[in-house]
Amino acid sequence: MLEGTVKVINPLGLHARAAAQLVQLAGSFNSGVILTRVDNSTTVDAKSILNVLTLAASMNTTLRLNVKGEDETQAFEAICGLFTNGFGEI
Amino acid sequence: MKRVGGVIVSHGQVANELLAAAETVVGDLSHITAVSIGWHDDVELAKDEVARAVKTVSQGVGVLVMTDMFGGTPTNISAMFLKENEVEIVTGVNLPMVIKLATYSEETTLSDLAKEVEDQGKQSIHRTGALLEPQKMKKDA
Repeated sequence: MLEGTVKVINPLGLHARAAAQLVQLAGSFNSGVILTRVDNSTTVDAKSILNVLTLAASMNTTLRLNVKGEDETQAFEAICGLFTNGFGEI
Repeated sequence: MKRVGGVIVSHGQVANELLAAAETVVGDLSHITAVSIGWHDDVELAKDEVARAVKTVSQGVGVLVMTDMFGGTPTNISAMFLKENEVEIVTGVNLPMVIKLATYSEETTLSDLAKEVEDQGKQSIHRTGALLEPQKMKKDA
């Protein structure tokens, strides 16, 4: 299992369309992908958009990313990349 | 996988706009359609339109009709099509319910899915101010 933290850096936060991108990306891998808010421990399955939206992750929220499965290395890097480029919004 | 079809039925243009919003979020939704019933539309014509919509989205494993308000004409018209294992109705449609129907991924029965969509709709209503009161927030909220 790979674990690390990612930070929401786009001004709009993890809103519906950003969440949709994340879910689509996470869903393209076989690995399980879990996101947890560092500040209040809300934990969600990153492959469900309705789950991801309940994180209510605004700009500057830090999330713990857990990826587990055969393609975890690629999945972890891809998802970190999506956060790093602010979901293509910055 | 054959998908349960979806028909959103509302007063005015709410149904079309809910579908458009869901498509913006999750992409094209060929198995869900919308029927908007005007305030002065003829009930018989509206009934035909709902019947057509149900037929259009059906893939043989049932159709979930989501209406705007219990007791309203869209619900009452839709209720005429209620049939076990074929047509289920959930009222009080909101965007998370449409997204739930759009994105469910495991094969399920129409009645189980209807229950899941109903639960999703209820769980998706938050008094957002409560999020700013972390000390009062329930752990399971």
